[in-house]
Amino acid sequence: MNATSPTLQAADAGAIRARGLVRRFGEKLALAGVELEAGPGGVIGLLGPNGSGKSTFLRILYGLVRPDEGSVELDGVRYSGDGLALRQRASYAPGEIALYGELTGERHLAFLLRGREPEALERASATARELGLPLERRVRGYSHGMKRQLLLSAALAPRVRIRILDEPSEGLDPAKRGEVLALLEREKQAGTTILLSSHHLGEIDRICDRLVFFHAGKKIADETREQVLASARRLVRVSFERAPDPARLSALAGVARVRVDGPRASLELAGDDPRPFLAALAADAALGMPASIEYGALSLPELMRELYGVEAC
Amino acid sequence: MRAELRAKLWMGIAYFVVLEALIVAAMLYWPQFAKNLEHLKALIPLDVLRDMADKIDESGASAYVHAQHFFKACNALGGLVAVLFAMNAVALEAQRGTLEIWLARALSRRRLLLERWFAGAFWLCVPVLVSTATVPWLGSLVDEPLDLGLLLLCALHQCLFLLAIYSLTFLASSASSNPMAIGFSMLLAAITELSVYMIERLTHWSVFRFADVGLYQEIYDGGALPWRVSLPLAAVSLVCVLLALHIFARRTP
Repeated sequence: MNATSPTLQAADAGAIRARGLVRRFGEKLALAGVELEAGPGGVIGLLGPNGSGKSTFLRILYGLVRPDEGSVELDGVRYSGDGLALRQRASYAPGEIALYGELTGERHLAFLLRGREPEALERASATARELGLPLERRVRGYSHGMKRQLLLSAALAPRVRIRILDEPSEGLDPAKRGEVLALLEREKQAGTTILLSSHHLGEIDRICDRLVFFHAGKKIADETREQVLASARRLVRVSFERAPDPARLSALAGVARVRVDGPRASLELAGDDPRPFLAALAADAALGMPASIEYGALSLPELMRELYGVEAC
Repeated sequence: MRAELRAKLWMGIAYFVVLEALIVAAMLYWPQFAKNLEHLKALIPLDVLRDMADKIDESGASAYVHAQHFFKACNALGGLVAVLFAMNAVALEAQRGTLEIWLARALSRRRLLLERWFAGAFWLCVPVLVSTATVPWLGSLVDEPLDLGLLLLCALHQCLFLLAIYSLTFLASSASSNPMAIGFSMLLAAITELSVYMIERLTHWSVFRFADVGLYQEIYDGGALPWRVSLPLAAVSLVCVLLALHIFARRTP
């Protein structure tokens, strides 16, 4: 299918395909061969620390940045020229907030939605009012969170099958974050494919069907939400007086994977029940008495370190 | 396009008002200037400026208009406005971080850039043309008949000269994130060019030779644009816009 074809195959509608994306900024390799297939429908969360390549990836998907290598397809349309065909097939909320302070909220929405169908502005204004934004006021008087919501209102308005949202709830207070997630949930129910990024785990796992982890320009993991949560649930972190023997830890009942870092060991259990492992650990006198045992929720940096072995600040 | 035009409306109006005020003052001063021209010529220290005074002496009010309106007011003020409009065109968006939302709309980059170029070009040229159109009426106030058509031809050439400066600055802006650096570079270049113009031996190397009294008098007397100059000026603008489009299409927000 070529870029200007008016008809779409059903499988292409709302689908995202990125193959072998490479992008360099001078000497820095921002993306190192990233692949992604997603949609139609569903919410895909990109997780990773700052500088991991998430925003560059999203900008390439939206046709804002040209890849040095690889190909992108949105809604059955390939990246070509200046990326206009992709921008017409999707909507986008940037991660970095810089707006025209001299414009009112209403006029800013009109600016952002130029080139979209006329009804998009009405929808964006309705969403913004639903979020409590004073659209008659100049944007320079908006707080960081209000600016974020204005961008999100514009990004949710066009009638497209794909929405690309870079850090959509960053800078929002918990109540507003809840409202934004409810809006995204509504979009999800309508069958839209949503690709969003975040460096906070908590907000993302509530809405995403799939979590893609980025680190140093690479996709290091691509799992369903259930898989990630199950892995996180099965993680036990044990601190010993001195460095434990990894082979001995691996031999304990219920242990699927072991990573030892000095006196600390991270163990992924084979099942959800930690009791067989704890019993085996207590019974193994050679390992010594653990100084601490942690079992439960992990922050994103902890999750990335424990599950994928990368340091995420 | 309307939004782009609206964004520069007040600056365009201010530019017109200043141009008009300058030409009104100059025209009303003309009788006194003509009476004292011989004495003024004796006071002029530079040969290049003395040549200009000689042309006014020979051709009268039309050469005076060329000197006051085109060479002095339009070149200086118009050049400044051209740089101000163009240096901010893209570089300011990059500097304040709004380049991404400007580019992220469902519009082609070519359209975005050309709209911005045309809006600046419009407000750069319209005040020159409109203020020039008032000159015959101002001339009638001091009993000097001046031809509107020929003056507009001169204004058209002036616009081509200003558009070349504007497009060159626009090209720099499309590749830069620092509008002030562009502005200061252009200011430095203008001062250098004007200095070169004032030196008798070097004057023919100055770009201000493309828009000076002698050339405007040639247009006014001949009733045609000097294509050997006007065409290259138009070509400079065209090449700069094409290069700007090429650079802008690859620009990363």
